[in-house]
Amino acid sequence: MSHPSAVRIFLKTILARAWPRLVSTYRNRTWVVTETLLPLIGTIAMIYVYRSLHAPARYLGFVVLGGVLLAFWQNVIYSMATQFFWDRGAGNLELFAMAPTSLAAILLGMAFGGAYVSLTRAVTILLVASILFGVGYSAAGLLPALGVFVLTISALYCLGMLLASLFLFYQREAWQLADAMQEPIYFLSGFYFPVRSLGAIAGGVGSLIPLTLGLDAIRQLVLPGTPRFIPLGWEILAVVVQLAGYAILSLISLRYLERRAREDARLILRST
Amino acid sequence: MSAAIAQWRGFKAATRLGWEISSNWTRPLIFVIYSVLRPLSGAFILVVMYRVISGSAPGTATYLAFLVSGVAFWSFVQYGFAGLANGMSEDRGEYRMLKYVYASPVHFYVYLLGRGLAQLASAVASTAIVLVVATIALRLPIDPLRVNYPLLLGASVLALLAVIGMAMAYGLLLLLARDSHGYGDLGASVLYVVSGAIFPISVLPGVLATIAALSPLVYWMELIRRSLLGSHAIRMFATLSDADVLLRLLVTTAATLIVAHLVFGWADRMARRRGLIDMESNW
Repeated sequence: MSHPSAVRIFLKTILARAWPRLVSTYRNRTWVVTETLLPLIGTIAMIYVYRSLHAPARYLGFVVLGGVLLAFWQNVIYSMATQFFWDRGAGNLELFAMAPTSLAAILLGMAFGGAYVSLTRAVTILLVASILFGVGYSAAGLLPALGVFVLTISALYCLGMLLASLFLFYQREAWQLADAMQEPIYFLSGFYFPVRSLGAIAGGVGSLIPLTLGLDAIRQLVLPGTPRFIPLGWEILAVVVQLAGYAILSLISLRYLERRAREDARLILRST
Repeated sequence: MSAAIAQWRGFKAATRLGWEISSNWTRPLIFVIYSVLRPLSGAFILVVMYRVISGSAPGTATYLAFLVSGVAFWSFVQYGFAGLANGMSEDRGEYRMLKYVYASPVHFYVYLLGRGLAQLASAVASTAIVLVVATIALRLPIDPLRVNYPLLLGASVLALLAVIGMAMAYGLLLLLARDSHGYGDLGASVLYVVSGAIFPISVLPGVLATIAALSPLVYWMELIRRSLLGSHAIRMFATLSDADVLLRLLVTTAATLIVAHLVFGWADRMARRRGLIDMESNW
């Protein structure tokens, strides 16, 4: 009997793990509502703040683009970083550990599936908020912005893979930690204002999250006149470095923490 | 044992349970950091947004005080509304104990009031720290010796009654759904937009502004600012006196509690008829 190659198993695992996410895009309607409306309502609230301040129109675009990427950040936190925590609670993690495949492939599958789910939510937020509040974008910058967006999301999900391995060590506090990574990150990443306003130090710390520089680059491309944090070329280069760096780090971290988790019996530890 | 003592014991047990559930997952220091980090970041997001647009123009501190006071006190709604509404779904789905609460001699209202009170305890710490940090860091015109505490306390008690009433009704409605995860936060987000917490409701389009004016939260926010800031407060209802705003808060709170009671009763009957109290929700 012939055995499938390791590469084939790896690729099939990615597909297998991505599939439930793709299916869930529309099947779980209650999640469709929360995943779309939560960032959309947050975005609308911030738009009204700018309106009350009589801000120039491009600031509304700032908020809308922040809201679009916010949907991805929430997906990375709740459906990537904490996913092994949920899987462990449901008894899936021990099955993953026994299967003849790698956790990295499972995480990649989650990332692809999750990115697609978030994309559907993000497009809705972009369209609804832009139409409702009459936000316009520079057509010339749309294609390059799309390229930066793909790079940013790739780097972000690599960071999500890294966080997923770290969250293997958390128990019930995982939920609260995920919650604690909302507003502080919105602040540091400049979701609702130019990153430049934070200054070099806070902006530099925030730049460890790929969204910060990616969002700033996208804004520079589609909202002319945006106060830039650092030049566009440097931002793109930094996101590429983050993409590679977080991918490598997540693989190393996953291998190390998986071994530690096996030794400490954390793969089967029920915490919910 | 009299019925009143039984209810009191149930209330105490529910309060302690709520506190343990929301705080026993970690060490106290991390809990405090977590409870403070979110609202503080939320406040500073608004501060930076304001500074980006207005710079250091005259009157900056007054508007920042408007923003910060709204965000600081919003913790009560976040914890009291979203926390309690989510808690009811968690009691059923995650802890599978809602049916035992129904079966116990404690009135369900008393149990939920206790659960809600525990949530509000977390909010007190969060609100106080945000106010203190922001007042010092941003030099806001808040003088602790000049705060109108009776007005602040009276308005807050009324508003929190309304918040817990709304949360009870909304939380019980959520039991009608199999998977209502995140809907507590969603409800709180909607209230955020129509509460005047971070911008005057006059910015909202006509229909939304009218809906907002029917909410007790708007009048609570107004009274919070007037009691904290006195003459420095930016007023959403400039033509109304403090007594007028308080009266409006009283009326809207009473109306909210009546509606919440009716919705609660209906949702309770539906949940019992459909067997939803002990439904397995595959948490």
